[in-house]
Amino acid sequence: MSTAQFRLTRRSVLAGSAAALAAPYIARAQGVPLTLGILTPLTGAGGYDGPRMMKAIQAVAAQVNDAGGLLGRKITFVIEDDQTNPEAAVRAARKLVDVDKVPVIMGTWASAVTSAVAPVCWESKTFLTTTSGADTITKLPHQGYLIRTQPNNYLQGAKHAEFIASTGAKKVGLLSIQAPFAQPTQERVKDVLAKNGSSLTGGLIYEPNKTSYRSEVDQILRGSPDMVYLNGYTPDVSVLLRDLYRAGYDGPRFTQSYALTSKAVESLPKEVTEGTYTVQPSADIDSPAYANAAKLLGIKDPDSYETQAVDWMSLVALSIAKAKAATGTAIRDTVRSVSQGAGTKVYSAVDGLTILAKGGEVNYEGASGPCDFTDIGDIQDCKFRYLVVKNGALTFLKVV
Amino acid sequence: MLKDVAQLVINGLMAGTILAVPAIGLTAIYAVLRFPNFALASHATVGAFAGWIANVVLGWSIIPSLGLAFLAAGLVGVATDEFVLRPFRAAGFATTAIGSIALTIALENLLRMIFGNDLRGYDLPITRDWRFAGLHLGPQQVENMAISLVVMAAVFAFLAFTRAGKAMRAVADNPALARIKGVDAVRVARIVSFVGMGLAGVGGMLIGLDTTIDPLTGFRVMLSVFAAAVVGGLGSIPGAVLGALTIGVGEELCLLVLTPNYRSVVGFLAILLVLILRPSGLLGQRAY
Repeated sequence: MSTAQFRLTRRSVLAGSAAALAAPYIARAQGVPLTLGILTPLTGAGGYDGPRMMKAIQAVAAQVNDAGGLLGRKITFVIEDDQTNPEAAVRAARKLVDVDKVPVIMGTWASAVTSAVAPVCWESKTFLTTTSGADTITKLPHQGYLIRTQPNNYLQGAKHAEFIASTGAKKVGLLSIQAPFAQPTQERVKDVLAKNGSSLTGGLIYEPNKTSYRSEVDQILRGSPDMVYLNGYTPDVSVLLRDLYRAGYDGPRFTQSYALTSKAVESLPKEVTEGTYTVQPSADIDSPAYANAAKLLGIKDPDSYETQAVDWMSLVALSIAKAKAATGTAIRDTVRSVSQGAGTKVYSAVDGLTILAKGGEVNYEGASGPCDFTDIGDIQDCKFRYLVVKNGALTFLKVV
Repeated sequence: MLKDVAQLVINGLMAGTILAVPAIGLTAIYAVLRFPNFALASHATVGAFAGWIANVVLGWSIIPSLGLAFLAAGLVGVATDEFVLRPFRAAGFATTAIGSIALTIALENLLRMIFGNDLRGYDLPITRDWRFAGLHLGPQQVENMAISLVVMAAVFAFLAFTRAGKAMRAVADNPALARIKGVDAVRVARIVSFVGMGLAGVGGMLIGLDTTIDPLTGFRVMLSVFAAAVVGGLGSIPGAVLGALTIGVGEELCLLVLTPNYRSVVGFLAILLVLILRPSGLLGQRAY
């Protein structure tokens, strides 16, 4: 019987130690991680949506990593908090661009933040994906380094007016808060109402931060509207709803879902909110991509922001894979060839990557919507989700 | 047209009487301590939240809740003046005023940490307006106006008939003479901080009764309150009432000629006109 004995010699110890020390370098050479940027509001007014968007982006990346990574590399992130504050956001964006040298920044939320960060991105040829809705954003000279998955105010105004007309309302009063979107939305709503056999009988822009809007309400009610559209934010919309009730208005009201949240409905007397419609851009809940996103995130009903974040990461991964280069310019030049066109429809990043690896073409259909972009980076269409307050609670009405 | 004007005047008087309560607080503090205490904004919010706890959490009715709003805001006012603003006062008017802005931001964020950003409403049934002769008037507003008037009467009685009130007026009118006469300036400062900030707290809750509250409740009305105090004559208590009514009615009547998004311009314009034409304000700076 012979046994092979392991002899611990000085030479083998040295060789083993050298190998152990060299191991990380060998591993790194096999795949330097691919670092991408996340810049999203983890605090401030967007502090509810930012962290959830971040998790959604990370979840897609983890799935891509499990399936072999991107260009043979693992995706990692540098995450910065934009604090829903343009100043802080620009500092963070500069760091992502200059120090971390990321090819893409995903996740800005507020329009003011995106407007401030966008120049930093296009000047450094860094791609930017955002949820901001102000019309002006895509009109910036961004040279294609920006896409947004959120409908702009022009599209939203049209959809809102179509819905209002569909309820049978003939005379509509519109109260808008003093904000960049106020005037463009008023004009768009007026035009689309007129096309749908309804009309705007009164429109006014009010100041934020007032404790009473009684006189504004009186002014709107002079047009005897059978629907009142409140285009503001929660603090002022809740005052307006009370003042409308007090002034004796009984007809339906319509507002954005961010202005009448379930918390706001709880804090207001029942009779004040009863019958109020709310609207928000909706994820494409019937799409297979939505089911994929829900499964991936482990959430039953991911909302519009989470699904938009899933779509950003998926589009970025597909663009990098197709361009075989991880630069902002490569993403800019490739993104529309994976988001729209005649390629095979795919509903997740991983499925798309498999087809691309075989040399095929893909058309990514997102969880937030079809993700087809115009030349300036706006989405071409989007669904909207309508709720109505019934017995003091927001209840689902429909997705159109 | 006449009916429209009457309705606007009614709306303005309602808004003005509520504004008058914190404006009295601001002007009283200015009269004695000689700086505009912008921390009034956050103290109004403190009062609004204290009243909310009393009304919604503890189930108290409105009047005792207002009492708690007064007490809580007043006590916080004394504490912040003692530990934050008093050390600033040695450095002069501007430093103290800026310090009070910093203080108000800090307090506001403290409230945000405790209560969050959500809107909260008082447990109060909402009622339709009364209608008469083509005009309408809210029962809640009338009640708020009545409460404001009672609070104002109490403040005037306090100044006219109590020892502490007289000491306050003495310091406001002539600090040097008051000191010679043995009035304790530090004690008067505490009293005026308590009463002034207490009134801000009541004002904050009155605003909340009509609307909803959140950590920015006080901040939103601060400009109008400041305008009211300046227009009436910073330091003059009857002036604060007159100023508040002027601003309240002015902001409404301007809707006859301006679109609603220019309403705040009235406050600024009133400050500007008064500073140019009558720098000491409508009623001068005599406290009472």
